[in-house]
Amino acid sequence: MGVVSVHQYPIPEGKSGQQVIDHLVKCLETLGATKTGTFCVDCETYYSGPNINPSRVLNIIHNSEHPASCFALLDTGTCLVCDTNFDQLMLTMSGLYHSKKSTKMESKGTRFQLGDFIVKVGSVSIGPSFRGILIEVEYGPCVIPNYCWDLMKEFMGGFMSSPRDPHQYLQGKMNDIFTPIDTIQQYNDHFNSIRKSTAAATSTASTPTHQSSSGRSTPSAGIAQSIPTKQ
Amino acid sequence: MNLESTRRSAQQEYILQGSIVNDSCEILLHRLRGLCDNGDAAPETFKDHEYVYTIRQPNGQPLTLRVRQSLEKKDYPWHLRYLGQPEIGDKNRATLVRSCIDVACSSNICTFLSEMGFKLDYEYISKGFIFKKGRMKVTVSKIFRLLPPGNVNTDEHVSQSYLVEVSVVAPTGQDALAEEIRSFAEQLKPLVQLEKIDPRRLQ
Amino acid sequence: MSLSVNVSLETADEYSVQEITYDGQEKYTQPLSMSENLTKLAQRIDFSRVNNYDDTEPEKSDTVAEEKETLQSAVWPWESVRNKLKSALTELCVLLDDMNVAKDKRYLVLDPVSQEPSEFKPLTALVARKKALAASAAIIQNGVEFLKSHQNDATRSRAMDFHSELMTIRQNWRMKKVGNTILGDLSYRSVGSRYPHPGSFEVTKAPTPQPITSPSNVPSPRASSLKVTVASDLEGVSYIHVNNDTLASGDLSIPLPPVAVSSLESSWQQKLENAQNVLFCKELFAQLAREAVQLQLPIPTLVIGNQIIATLFPGVQLSIGLCHTTVPNKKTTEKQQQTPSRNEHKPVLEHSLHQLLREIHYNSLHHPMPHPATATLGISRKMYFAGPEAYDRHTLMEACKSETMLEQIISQSQHVVLRLRTMYMIDTLACEIKDPLIIAHWLCLNSATKSSVKINIVSYGYESQSRTPLVIHVGVKNIKAICRDGRTFHMSYESQELRYLIMSQVSQHQINAIQALSKLMGWKVLSHNVNCGVGPVEMIGTASSIVLASPNGDRMIAVRHGPQSGAQVSISLSPHEQDFYPSTLVKDRKWQNINGGFKEVMWEKIEGKNLVSKIEYLMACLTNF
Repeated sequence: MGVVSVHQYPIPEGKSGQQVIDHLVKCLETLGATKTGTFCVDCETYYSGPNINPSRVLNIIHNSEHPASCFALLDTGTCLVCDTNFDQLMLTMSGLYHSKKSTKMESKGTRFQLGDFIVKVGSVSIGPSFRGILIEVEYGPCVIPNYCWDLMKEFMGGFMSSPRDPHQYLQGKMNDIFTPIDTIQQYNDHFNSIRKSTAAATSTASTPTHQSSSGRSTPSAGIAQSIPTKQ
Repeated sequence: MNLESTRRSAQQEYILQGSIVNDSCEILLHRLRGLCDNGDAAPETFKDHEYVYTIRQPNGQPLTLRVRQSLEKKDYPWHLRYLGQPEIGDKNRATLVRSCIDVACSSNICTFLSEMGFKLDYEYISKGFIFKKGRMKVTVSKIFRLLPPGNVNTDEHVSQSYLVEVSVVAPTGQDALAEEIRSFAEQLKPLVQLEKIDPRRLQ
Repeated sequence: MSLSVNVSLETADEYSVQEITYDGQEKYTQPLSMSENLTKLAQRIDFSRVNNYDDTEPEKSDTVAEEKETLQSAVWPWESVRNKLKSALTELCVLLDDMNVAKDKRYLVLDPVSQEPSEFKPLTALVARKKALAASAAIIQNGVEFLKSHQNDATRSRAMDFHSELMTIRQNWRMKKVGNTILGDLSYRSVGSRYPHPGSFEVTKAPTPQPITSPSNVPSPRASSLKVTVASDLEGVSYIHVNNDTLASGDLSIPLPPVAVSSLESSWQQKLENAQNVLFCKELFAQLAREAVQLQLPIPTLVIGNQIIATLFPGVQLSIGLCHTTVPNKKTTEKQQQTPSRNEHKPVLEHSLHQLLREIHYNSLHHPMPHPATATLGISRKMYFAGPEAYDRHTLMEACKSETMLEQIISQSQHVVLRLRTMYMIDTLACEIKDPLIIAHWLCLNSATKSSVKINIVSYGYESQSRTPLVIHVGVKNIKAICRDGRTFHMSYESQELRYLIMSQVSQHQINAIQALSKLMGWKVLSHNVNCGVGPVEMIGTASSIVLASPNGDRMIAVRHGPQSGAQVSISLSPHEQDFYPSTLVKDRKWQNINGGFKEVMWEKIEGKNLVSKIEYLMACLTNF
């Protein structure tokens, strides 16, 4: 487990998501990356019932890279790492915390390996609808983000417009040892911002479930403040 | 409906409980060491700190979660446990059966639960010996109060006896295990009487 | 058919002849009484054939019915079934009627048929009674004898007492009593084995302690009053034969060690131990065979009969065989011992196979205890940590990976083969190369798949001056060598590669030794080159060279040493010649001081035991003071 950086990839006007992904995959394969299977990061959002005060939003995230684990993120920023039996426990708490199936998000796609780098190109979807592209880049041999950020930036420049700064969450932890939680936090931030932007963009045309979800996610201001800086 | 399907897929704990006074505990330990696996090694000790969190559900029923930390092996994951309502059943059923969910989790579980809205109900230290016989787990433990609060190295024991528990956690529907536990309990008979104890009736 | 006539039959009013005596007189049998006749007839009835009911019906109707049957059966397939059912019903009705008749006792009374009363002869009865008494007396007498002898045995030696012996066996083996039989358990289930063989044995009392009465077997141990019966497939002795061979031997004819054969007829303890060993070997072999079938190797493993063959290296195979002999056939064993077996047994590998299976047994029982105490029982520590520590896919896969017993034994045997090859290679090299000396120290600390050897190359007589150490790690499929300068070489299982390395090390050692010697002798090193580019190309490696100058600089020695070509020594002098004759070209004597051309020394003629001592001799000769 090295350092992981997750970025949103903008979709230019007039192109479909699949076209962009195909283009990225072609870029990576030209660079010499080899496909090493698929990956999936899914996020289910639970909202606290009326008897819990203050109300909370709980995101349960699974990452196929850590198949035995389940990450539970509260909107206070606390992240619990536990084994997958926690999903069952959430079901017993259905009276206290309930989820809406339509708000389940996932980023799914192909995993590439190129030397010490692992690149994952994921298409983000809420339910059946496509919402954007997230690119995860992992550099294996290093655990301190600060030491390898420039290298990663340069690598990312090879196939995407490389970001100027690391993800906002990562910026505060540049000199700490990178943990799997840091990956999950980045995904969580991206999911939140994608959820917000789609809710804002389609506020008039969206289905009622999306509206309610965007209304619900307002209490989660603690994490929703981070809209990733894209140049 | 959702809840029901979970209960069905969940694990169940078959358990018998009993107690033994301090003086006879040594004999029981000898007996257990002979009966259980790996009698060649000294019995394994444990010292756990248990926190019990509750929250009131909308239907008025409290939901209780138990968090345990091993004080002997502090680097081990913490353990979060949900125990369902115990079913006594009729005379034919050999043991108490309750659904249970075991989750190994990181050490920030206490913060996590209190942020979720749970309240710490009570806490205690459980100290004793643990044995294994096939799939059965046998614990002989003593309960200590944390007095003064927060003092982990307490010697304020609750009673002059040890709690003895024989349990198996298995997927639902393996009632043959109950018989296995009963026959094991039979072998401890004169020393300790293991029974189906309904905590609701004790209150 | 329509003209059928009813024919009445009755028995002839004659008595049947029993025998005709020699004088022609006929003896008749007595006519049967009514009841006797009934008995006789009743005996003839075959109750199992109930279908014969119809036979009593008149012939005509029978045939008609038959015709009808044949006609109708084509029309209606259930005809036969209906008929059967109908006849069954009829029979049942008849049976019911019969029972009613018998029960009512109005029409018929069922009485036991009286048999012919046996003739009472007082004399024979007396004889019979006497006989019976004598027989029972003999039984009692036997019992008394037996008890007496038993008592005697007991007093003579405690060990022969059945019960005390039973106690001994009880202390050493798992026993239980089922009904009237005493059963024991040989199996390894209590220590974690999952082999399905019941492995039970039965303990009975030995019939008679014969060995005591027979004076012939004096050296035999005291006879036991216990008889132990094991399952027939566990009898005899067996062991796992392991050997690595260059060719596959088709038939496995494995000699049993004579010790094992002789121990067959000894005490129950030995017998039980043998049986348990047989069971263990069976389990071991079954496990290996299962793994061999599942294992995916580039060259697949073969399981033929009681043999498993796996390829270690090209041309080298490992064969594991299960040998089991029940009847000790002295002749064959002798014959086998005479022919020196080509497939030599490897007891070390057999031992490690035993160890591996015992380890599996141990691990199946010894799980780590859960902490905290309420945590899930029976999952490995790694799997318990996997969730909360967020292990990634790779780590989890590593944690799940485990080598099977066969893979482990294959790698161990590969190591054994490689180690032996290396050992042999180093030894032959040490014999071939006398100068310098190659000394190998095998380290005693090694594992089943890793061992290392330290090689010192020294020149005889100059050990303290120059020494070239070399460490070689022998692994499973490859060899790693670490040289003095820290360079490491990875080599394959072909020991030729190591041979080349050592030869080039030898060559470099010679040059290094000369360099060390020069320091001692006060000579100056002008150049030292381990990869000398001049001269003929070596077959392997490169030649090394050194050029030395004498203390006052008037003599020079150049040595070139190649791994295969050996040493080549040349000297050059300054001044070239003692006398100077000025010529038109060289006018002054000073030009004589320039070194002349190198002249090769006839190296064989120089005195000295080895290269370094010869060089020393040469240096001593050339040094001017």
